[in-house]
Amino acid sequence: MTRELGELLAALPPEADVAEADAQRQLAELIAGLAQRPTPVNRLARFWVLGSAHAKIALAYLVHWIRSSYLSADALDRDRNEVQLRAAIKLVGSMGYLRGVMVKVGQTLAAYPHVLPKTYAEAFGRLHFEAPPMHFALVREQLARELGDEPERVFAEFEREAFAAASLGQVHRARLRSGERVAVKVQYPNIARTIDADLRNLLALMAPLRLTRQWSSLRQLMDEIRVIVTREADYASEALFFERARELFRAEDGIVVPRVVRAHSTSRALTMEYVEGVHLEAYLRGNPPQAERDRFGERIMRASFRIAHTGRFWYADSNPGNYLFMRDGRIGVLDFGCCREFSAEEWQYYVETLRASVHGGEALRRAVLRGAGFDPEHPPSEPHERFLVELGEWYSGYLKHEGPFDFADEAFIRRGIEMLTLIGRKGYFQSLPVNVWISRQLLGLRALAYRLGARIDMRRLMYEESAHLLEGA
Amino acid sequence: MRVTADTREQTRLAILDAARKLFVDKGFEETTTRDLAGVARIATGTLFNYFPSKEALGLELLAGECAGLADDSRNSADDSGVALEEALFALVMRYLRALGPLRPAVGAIVECGLNPFATPNGAAAECLRTTHLEQVRALVSARVRQEPSFLAMHLYWTLFLGVLVFWSRDESVGQEETLALLDQSTRLYVAALRGDGNSKEAQYDA
Repeated sequence: MTRELGELLAALPPEADVAEADAQRQLAELIAGLAQRPTPVNRLARFWVLGSAHAKIALAYLVHWIRSSYLSADALDRDRNEVQLRAAIKLVGSMGYLRGVMVKVGQTLAAYPHVLPKTYAEAFGRLHFEAPPMHFALVREQLARELGDEPERVFAEFEREAFAAASLGQVHRARLRSGERVAVKVQYPNIARTIDADLRNLLALMAPLRLTRQWSSLRQLMDEIRVIVTREADYASEALFFERARELFRAEDGIVVPRVVRAHSTSRALTMEYVEGVHLEAYLRGNPPQAERDRFGERIMRASFRIAHTGRFWYADSNPGNYLFMRDGRIGVLDFGCCREFSAEEWQYYVETLRASVHGGEALRRAVLRGAGFDPEHPPSEPHERFLVELGEWYSGYLKHEGPFDFADEAFIRRGIEMLTLIGRKGYFQSLPVNVWISRQLLGLRALAYRLGARIDMRRLMYEESAHLLEGA
Repeated sequence: MRVTADTREQTRLAILDAARKLFVDKGFEETTTRDLAGVARIATGTLFNYFPSKEALGLELLAGECAGLADDSRNSADDSGVALEEALFALVMRYLRALGPLRPAVGAIVECGLNPFATPNGAAAECLRTTHLEQVRALVSARVRQEPSFLAMHLYWTLFLGVLVFWSRDESVGQEETLALLDQSTRLYVAALRGDGNSKEAQYDA
């Protein structure tokens, strides 16, 4: 299952879901399959394979402890020692950074249907990354290093408990000396470097795949993953995207991108305006009226189109946690850690595909073939070509729809799931790398609009947001 | 010439000052007793009248930097009401801050003089160990509602020394790798102390 597919399925009723335990079993099988030799499947072995230097030191000391405890303890103590030892070993093997790399890599690899066999991607796709939670003493140390002083002195108020998890860290409410309420995102120490080092180890673990035909794509995509992880870990880069996005919206758009407080932001701490609102599930529990859901849905779509078509960068993280439904009807867009610049070539490809999507027919056929890395004059097999065209029509179909498009239509979502499943089953993996980002965002938006049950006039919206790109199309 | 108590104390302080400078600038292992005597302006043999070995001198230096932490009531008050993991983390951070000026030398001194398998290195080492472990014992007793066993204290001490040695050689920005190691080590210790895997770490299983 791809990440996109996972998002779509998650949007459907629960019976379509896959059991978490099954996903974890598959993950263990994945590791076993990758190694194809005396396999590091148990936790301790995986720890040695992937653990970073400091973890090894901790384990070395643990071994010292074991030895000395057995020398010094009397028989009555041994039972208790063994219990403690088992607990300790279990915990060493499940420490946060190891979990971090497996889950982060897994989640990202799952976004690449092109290279991973279905069972691999399926296990990865069910995992969600969270950095280890930090107690306040650790948050204080981290912020003191980043902001030059302890949070109690930097801010007029700082809440000790985090109110939200964030990519690679957590978020605390605070108040500036000016009285403004802010949210402070704090990164778990050293997590980016740990993940980067462990990614290299993971690639080494995947060595048995190097003789397969997918290896070069896999290498290329692992590099892409490292770029993503590095970027997500760089809050200074995220602050730039926040500011670029914020400039794109006016008050009448009803779209709020929080202001970054530069004076209290670094590459590992990000302070931004606090936005009051609720996430999707909480919003839906209030049984909001259709018109309101439609308006929120349109604002979410508009934000995405504006960022891509006017801001010329791609916001590829449309999961529900990144949107806040505000009481006054505005939508808050949070977390710009997963943004990507278009290269000139990619931008040209994107605009051409957008125009072709409006036209349909032969223009769309040629665009989807180019997007899949084929020369339109030398297409792949007829079934493969037909599949690509149908997938392109599914992606762009709502642009031909007059009036509000009903995203609550379950048949529409199921059709998408069927086609995305076929990618894995038929081996139709070939695609331009930029499509990973584009499809991730488009499918994320669709899943969101489905859960919201929104009806949106996508054609009108597209022309409002993209007239400058569609001229002459 | 009769050596007064004042003169003796001044000489002792001069040796400690020399050690603080040389251990950091030149490295603990590379510094000889001859170097120390030269900077302290005493004869090499005189140094041994004050400290039986270079290791003992290093430990005396560490103990001196940490002396103020023994009854730090303000910080102890801050720890009340927080979980054991956090209280231990905060305690160790106070030691790291106190030892900050000696950071490059701490690893070598600890390895020579404080590791569980080292030969006893005098009163300073024992005082440092006892004082620190008393603080840990108090934090544990107040939260786990039982006196920690010898084994539990030994485990703590090995993790603490591991953190000290690692921190001393940590080249990451702001020693953030040490923060992560300390966080994980204190969580590991608390979970082992409780003899179960039901701490927050259990949810991190990959």
